[in-house]
Amino acid sequence: MEGPSSVSRRHLLGGGLALLGAGAAGCAIPVGLGSAQRRVRYWHFLGASDGIIMNRMVGAFAKANPDVFVEENVLAWGEPYYTKVAMAGAGGRSPDLATFHLARLSGIGAGRILDPINVDLLAKNGLRAADFSPPIWERAHINGELYAVPFDAHPMVQYYNTDLSRRAGLLGDDGKLKPTTGTDELLAMLRKAKDALGGKPPLVFDALGLGTVGPWRVWETLYAQSGGTLVSDDGTRITLDDTKALTALRFMRQLGQEGLCNPKTDYGASVAAFTNGLAAFLWNGDWETTGLKERKTPFSMARFPSVFGSGAAQADCHSFVLPHQRNRDPETEAATYRFIAYLVKHSADWAVAGHVPAYLPALEEPAYLALQPQSEYRSVITEVALDPKVWFAGSASRLWIEFGGAFSPVISGARTPEQGLETAKQALRRLMSAPDPFPAKEG
Amino acid sequence: MTKRFSPSQIILLVVAAALAIVWLAPLAWAVATSLKPESETTKLPLQWFGSELTLDAYRLVLATGGIVKWAINSTVTAVVVTFMTVLFSAMAAYGFARTQFRGQRVLLAVILAGIMVPPQVLMAPLFAEMVSLGLVDTWWSIILPQVAAPLIVYILYKFFQDVPLELEQAAFVDGAGRWRVFFTIVLPLSRPVLAAVSIFTFITTWNNFLWPFLVSTDPNTMTLPVGLANVVQGTFGLRYAQIMASVVLAGLPLLVVFVLFQRQIIRGVAHTGLAGQ
Amino acid sequence: MATTVAAPAATAPAAHVQVRRRWTQHGLLFVAPFLVIYAAFLVWPTVLGLRMSLSSVNIAGGNNEFVGFANYAEAFTDPRMWHSLWNTVVFTVLSTIPLVLLGLGFALLVHNLRFLQWLWRLSFFGPFLLPSAVVAVLWLQMIYPPEYGLLNGTLGTDVLWLGDPSVAMWSMVLTTVWWTVGFNFLLYLAALQSIPQHLYDAAAIDGATAWTKLRSITLPLLGRTTGLIVILQLLASLKVFDQIYLMTNGGPEEATRPIIEYAYEVGFSGYRIGYASAITYILFVLIVIVSLGQLRLLRKREEALS
Repeated sequence: MEGPSSVSRRHLLGGGLALLGAGAAGCAIPVGLGSAQRRVRYWHFLGASDGIIMNRMVGAFAKANPDVFVEENVLAWGEPYYTKVAMAGAGGRSPDLATFHLARLSGIGAGRILDPINVDLLAKNGLRAADFSPPIWERAHINGELYAVPFDAHPMVQYYNTDLSRRAGLLGDDGKLKPTTGTDELLAMLRKAKDALGGKPPLVFDALGLGTVGPWRVWETLYAQSGGTLVSDDGTRITLDDTKALTALRFMRQLGQEGLCNPKTDYGASVAAFTNGLAAFLWNGDWETTGLKERKTPFSMARFPSVFGSGAAQADCHSFVLPHQRNRDPETEAATYRFIAYLVKHSADWAVAGHVPAYLPALEEPAYLALQPQSEYRSVITEVALDPKVWFAGSASRLWIEFGGAFSPVISGARTPEQGLETAKQALRRLMSAPDPFPAKEG
Repeated sequence: MTKRFSPSQIILLVVAAALAIVWLAPLAWAVATSLKPESETTKLPLQWFGSELTLDAYRLVLATGGIVKWAINSTVTAVVVTFMTVLFSAMAAYGFARTQFRGQRVLLAVILAGIMVPPQVLMAPLFAEMVSLGLVDTWWSIILPQVAAPLIVYILYKFFQDVPLELEQAAFVDGAGRWRVFFTIVLPLSRPVLAAVSIFTFITTWNNFLWPFLVSTDPNTMTLPVGLANVVQGTFGLRYAQIMASVVLAGLPLLVVFVLFQRQIIRGVAHTGLAGQ
Repeated sequence: MATTVAAPAATAPAAHVQVRRRWTQHGLLFVAPFLVIYAAFLVWPTVLGLRMSLSSVNIAGGNNEFVGFANYAEAFTDPRMWHSLWNTVVFTVLSTIPLVLLGLGFALLVHNLRFLQWLWRLSFFGPFLLPSAVVAVLWLQMIYPPEYGLLNGTLGTDVLWLGDPSVAMWSMVLTTVWWTVGFNFLLYLAALQSIPQHLYDAAAIDGATAWTKLRSITLPLLGRTTGLIVILQLLASLKVFDQIYLMTNGGPEEATRPIIEYAYEVGFSGYRIGYASAITYILFVLIVIVSLGQLRLLRKREEALS
C-alpha cells in the first residue's frame, strides 16, 4: 500500500488479513525458540495485497528452510515507519532485516542507521551486481558501498478500463490500448473517452487530500520526461527548470480545466471511481493491480504515456536493508542473507502484486511474462525517474508532501501554475537550506 | 438540614445521572462495539446492540498474541518502577530528613529543582543516552528514567520530617542499627503515604506513553499503550470490533482495580497529584 | 525548604546528640541509590540536552559538531516552530478553562449528593485512569468518524471532527476534557471535604441561602486549590503530545500540532535530534516559569498550614 494511510480503508482491511496470518504464524512458535531454529526479525510496511503476497512468500521460505524462523512485523507505512527504523537502527538492537524505499536511502545516510550489505555473502547466496537493473543497483550505493538490495520498482502506470476504452474506440486490434505520444494524442484519447462517458472526466488520480502526493507523482513524471531535474547530482544546487516545470503544470491544469481529469478525487476516491467503472483511466503506482483483479474490474495496464519526450515515469523501489546492530550474530546474518536471496530470486511471485522486479533474470521468466497485465509495463524498468539524492526525498517524504500540496490547487484552478511553482520552489529552497542531518563527509 | 429526598437532592441526582451517562457513553460505546459482529460495527443508523453478542473480537485479539506480550511488558515495567521508586525515594527522603552529611543541602536543592524538569523536555537527550548505553529496546530503558522521580522524594521527605523522633530513639536505645530502624519502624509507620505514592507511581508508569514509545521500537518490548497505538491499528486495519476489544482489554485493568480500591486510589492520586504532577 | 533540614537536630536536647551522631554515620548510603539514578537519568540528560542543542548531532549520534546558537537562531525564525508553539498555547488556554470549571462543577455536584458516591466517582474520574493511547484510539476510531462515529450519529450532526482545521483543535480539547477532568474533580472534592462544617452551620444560623454559602464560604476557601489546579493544568497542557499525535498527527493542515510533537518530528522523523533539543529547551524555559509559580503557591500553602 502506497497511498496516504487515511484513505485506504480497503487496503488496511487487506493488511489486517495479512497480519492475522503473520500473527498466527508468530505465536505458533514461541519467541524463546530454544530449538535449532534461527530467528530472523523482519520489518516491513507492506499492507493490502502486497502484505498478503509477502506473507505467502515468507511462508514458502519457511517451508523450504525449516531451520529459519522469520518473525514478520508489519508496521504502519510512511513517516512513522522510517522514524521507527531510524530509531531502531540508532538503538542498535534493530530487526535483522527491513524493507525500505530506495529513494529514502540518501535521506537516512550511512551514519550508523543502516549497516552496509556484505557483497561477498550476497554473492555466496547467488546474487551479483549484474543481476540487477543498473540505475537501480547504482542507486542502492552510498559513497560506493552497497546499503540496499533492490527488490522491485513501482512506477507510475496508466490503468485503463478495457470496456470503456473499447467503447471509445481506443483499443488496437490486439485488444490493447493504442499508445499515445505527445500532448495532442493523449488529449485526443482522453476527449474520446470523455464523450464515451457522457461528458464525465475520464481520468482520475490522487489529486487532493491531506498529505496528497498524487500531484507530485504526475508532475514529476511529466517533468522528468522533458528532461528536467530538481537538484544537482551532488545535491547542493537547485536545478529546477521553470519553463519545463510550467509546461508540465499547465498541461495538468488543462486536464482539469477541460474536465479531462477529475480534480476533486483524493486517493481513495480515485481508486474507487476507476474500480466502479466511473472513470476510464487511472494514473497511479502499480500496486492496485491485485485489488482491481479481486474486484473484477475489466482493466489492463500500460506504461505511463510519453507526453513530453522520454517515456520516464516517476517511481520508487522496494529494497532490503540491514538496520544497524551493535552485535550482529553471524548465524542470524547468514540466515538473513539466505532469506533475502530467496525473496529476490522469487521476484516473479512478488510481481503478482504489480511491481516490476529489479532482478533482471526474473523479467525473462515465463511465469512473469505470463502475468497479465503485470508484465505489460516491464520495459519501464530502465526509465524510472527516481527522486533526487537529497535527504528530504523518497516515499512519504517532505519533498513529496510539499510539492503535492503546492500542485494540487493548480489542477483545480484554485492556484495558477505560476503560483503553484513558486510555492513549490519556496518549499524546495527551505528544504535545501535546512541542515542535512547526514552530511556526506560523515560516510 | 435537608431530608433524604428533598427536591434539591432529586434535581442534583438527575443532573448527576445525566452527566454520568454522557461521561460513560464513550466507554460503553467501546464495549458495545467490541461485542458486535464485525459486519455490524459501522451499521447506520447507530445501534448499541448488534444482532448478537459475540466474543469473537476478543478471541481474535488474544489469539494474535501481541496484547498478552505487551500486558506482560507493562506489568513488569510498572511493578519494577514502582518498587524501585518507592524504595529508593523513601531511603533518600529518610537520609535527607534524618541524617547529616556533607553537601546535603546542595543535593537536596538539586533534587527539588528536578521537579521542574518534565520528562518530555528530555526526550532527545535521554534517547541519545539510551543509544550510547545500548539500552534501546530493553526493559531497562523503559524503567530507569521513570525511577528518577524527585517529586516522590519531596513528598516522602515532607512526611518523614513530621514523624516524631521519639519512636526511633527508643529503638536506638535498644541497640537497633540504623537500617533496622528504617526498615522495621519507619517504613511500617509510613504505610499510608507509601501506599499513596506507590499507587500514583504505578498508574503513571502503566499509562505512560511518550517515553516507552520512543525507546521500544521492537514490538516485542512494547508496553500496552505503545503496542495499542503502534501495532493494533495497523494489524487489525479497520476491524472495529477488534480494535475496540483491544481498547477495552488495555483500559480495563486499572478501572477494575479502581472499583476494588477506590478509596486508596483517590487518596493516592489526590495526595501525590496535588504536590505536582 | 532546604533550611528545614537541620531543624529536628537543632531543636533536639543534649541527650539526642549521641543518637544524632549515629544517624550521621552513613547518611550518604541512604541517599546513594536514588542519587545515582537521578544523576544518570535526570541531571545528566539535562546537561547533555543543552550540549546537544548547541550541536548538529543526528539521531544516530553522528555529525556531532558544535554549532553555537545556530539551532536556537533557526528555531526563532522557523515558522513551523512558532506555529506549533502557538497551537500549544491555544490548546492550553482552551483546555484549562473547561477543565477547571467542569472539575469544580462536578465536585460541587458530587459533594452535595448523598447517594451512589462510588458511581459518580467512577463516572467522572474513571477516564483519567485510561492510558492516553486507549483514549485516543477509542475517540479516533469510534467517536469522531463523521459517518458512523458516536458523536455525529447521536447528535445528528455532520461535523468533520478531525478533518476540519477549524474544528480539530476543539475536538482535541473535548477529548482531553473528557479524559482528564476527573483529576481536577478529585482535587476539588478533597478540598471541599476539608472545609469545616461549622462554617456552614454558623452561616445557616444567619439565614444564609445555599447560593450565598457557596459564594462567601466555599469558593473563597477553594481559592488556593484553584491556583494549584490551574498551574498543574497549565503544566500538563504545555506538554501535550499523546492524544494529538495519535488522533490527528498534528493535522489537518498543522492546525493541532503542539510543540512537543514538532520536536518529535524534527528530531526523530527528521533525524535532527540536536535541533529537536533546542526546541524542547525553548519549551523548557516556559515550563520553568510556570513551575516557579507553582513552587510559590506550594510554599504559601505550607505557610498557611503551619
